[in-house]
Formats: sequence, C-alpha cells, structure tokens
Amino acid sequence: MSGGDVEVEVNDMDDVVGGVTMDEEPDEEETVERIKSGARVRKGRGFNEASERITMKGGDYDTVDSQQNGDPGPARSVEGWILFITNVHEEAQEDTMFDLFREYGAIKNMHLNLDRRTGYAKGYALTEYETYNEAKNALQGLNGQDLLGHKLHVDWAFVKGPLKKRDSNRTTKTTANTGRSTYRRR
Amino acid sequence: MSDDFYLRYYVGHKGKFGHEFLEFEFRPDGKLRYANNSNYKKDTLIRKETYVNRSVIEELKRIVNDSDIMKEDDAVWPPPDRVGRQELEIVLGEEHISFTTSKIGSLIDINNSRDPDGLRCFYYLVQDLKCFVFSLIGLHFKIQPI
Repeated sequence: MSGGDVEVEVNDMDDVVGGVTMDEEPDEEETVERIKSGARVRKGRGFNEASERITMKGGDYDTVDSQQNGDPGPARSVEGWILFITNVHEEAQEDTMFDLFREYGAIKNMHLNLDRRTGYAKGYALTEYETYNEAKNALQGLNGQDLLGHKLHVDWAFVKGPLKKRDSNRTTKTTANTGRSTYRRR
Repeated sequence: MSDDFYLRYYVGHKGKFGHEFLEFEFRPDGKLRYANNSNYKKDTLIRKETYVNRSVIEELKRIVNDSDIMKEDDAVWPPPDRVGRQELEIVLGEEHISFTTSKIGSLIDINNSRDPDGLRCFYYLVQDLKCFVFSLIGLHFKIQPI
C-alpha cells in the first residue's frame, strides 16, 4: 500500500510538546513529589526502608540531542528514527510486521517484544529507519492500519522535550483505534 | 480517576565488585532515565536519559494495569538480603506502591515463597519492564543494555 494520499490525522506535534519554558527543569522534582504525595493509597515496605540506591536526581546523564529543551516534535536517535507501535495483536508475527513497515524504507531494527509469561506479543513494537522521511511516511501510512483485526497505532518513540502538562480538569487520551488524541471532559 | 503516573525500578547488590545496580525511571513529563553500574571487568557507570512520547507512557501504564501489580502487597515477600535488593515504585492514579524484595533466582524460589501468586506477578512484570526499557534505550543510544 502506498498510503501517500491517505489523510491520517497524526498529532505528533501539538500533542507532545507544549510551550516549554526554561523554568521547566527546577520544578520537575516537585512534580514527581506532588504526584507521589497525591496518592491516596500507599502500600509496600519501601516506604519504611532506606534505599541503598544511588539517587537518580544528581549526576550527568548522556543524551542524544544536546538541544533537548524547547524544541517540539520527534527526536532523532543515534542511528536513525524510531517509531513506537501499539495495539499490536498478541498473535502478530515479526515477519508480518516487517513486511508492512518495509514498504516505507529499509528497516534498520525492529523489536516485537513478547510477554514473558505467555510468550505472545506484548502489544507494542519498535521500528527504526535511517531517515526522517521514511519514518514519517511509515507513521502516516500505517497509523490505523489493520493487523489481525487490531488497528495499529503508530507514533514517534522519542520527543525532544518534556510532554505538555495536562490541564487538571481535562485529560488527553490517545485512542489506540484511531490514533487520534481526544479531549475528554470529566 | 487521576491520570498521575510514575514508575521506578531498581535492582542491585553490594559485593566484591562494589555496588552493582540497574535502575530506570519514567517521569510524568516523559523523561526516561536509565542507570547501570557494573564493575565487573571494568568500572563503568552508564547513565542515559531521553524523553519518550506520550504513547510510550500510555503503553507502559497499560502494561502495569494489566499486570494487576497494584493489587499485590510485598508484606510477606522475601526481604532484601546480601544477595541483592529489588525495588519497584509506581504511582498509578491515586495508588502508590513501593515494593521491596530480594533478587529472585528462578520460578522455584517463587513457588516456595509465602506469596507465590504475588511474587510471580512481580517477577513477570519486572521482566516485561526490563524488556520494554532495554528496547527503548538500546535502540535510541545504540547500546546493549547489560
């Protein structure tokens, strides 16, 4: 299938990264703390034990793109562009997935990970192309594609910056069947 | 229901090669952090971070939800010991779990434990989470985790 003239709504820009400001970083820890303190039900010994882990808060972490902040949209990986596919049927096979995505360019890598308990497909996959255009065309062409009765949801795996904060009384929900983001009022 | 989500997993031990551990964390803004310290053969600390898309977070939430881990309790799981320690901390909506246990060698250990069903749930979820993270980190940074 070409998929070139098929209009598929893909919210890879406005859904992902919003108006990012420079003060995003300092309150990142607060966001995590707020989320933790907002929980109503707590369970586990971890709350009463001192962890021996090295805290993840400090130190320098390697990143692929030095311009992480502010730039919306998909982020390039070290050797190419990676798509994240969900709503994959548990009986999907790697060769079927491969044939679908090969239509849009040479696939450098594909992971169709299995459920460790059942041995069937877990429900997601990752595919890597060398160029942005190959990946973009595959995204547009295959988002919503039927596979074993499931509509594949295809999106970029990585983005250049933090996800937009959600409005407290509004929820962005990605619907797997359409690949579109809808706003749901509570 | 609240949309809040946070996930962190740690496994490590202190032995003749020092403090060896693996840890990863998904933050609500999509930041994925990964740290792996293995002193075997050579002294290396790998630290990576990147931002994943919303669909990645949504899939992770689905995996956590489907696992039913939030219904479990670590009260009678084998406590962390000299062999090692695992920690799994998750905020999903209004529930917050912070479980700890020892390293789990095999399914035999699970079957002989006081809470085989709960421990089995934990064991398979951790495997699925590691697989998920290793694919993301491995593809993005072109490294072979562990």
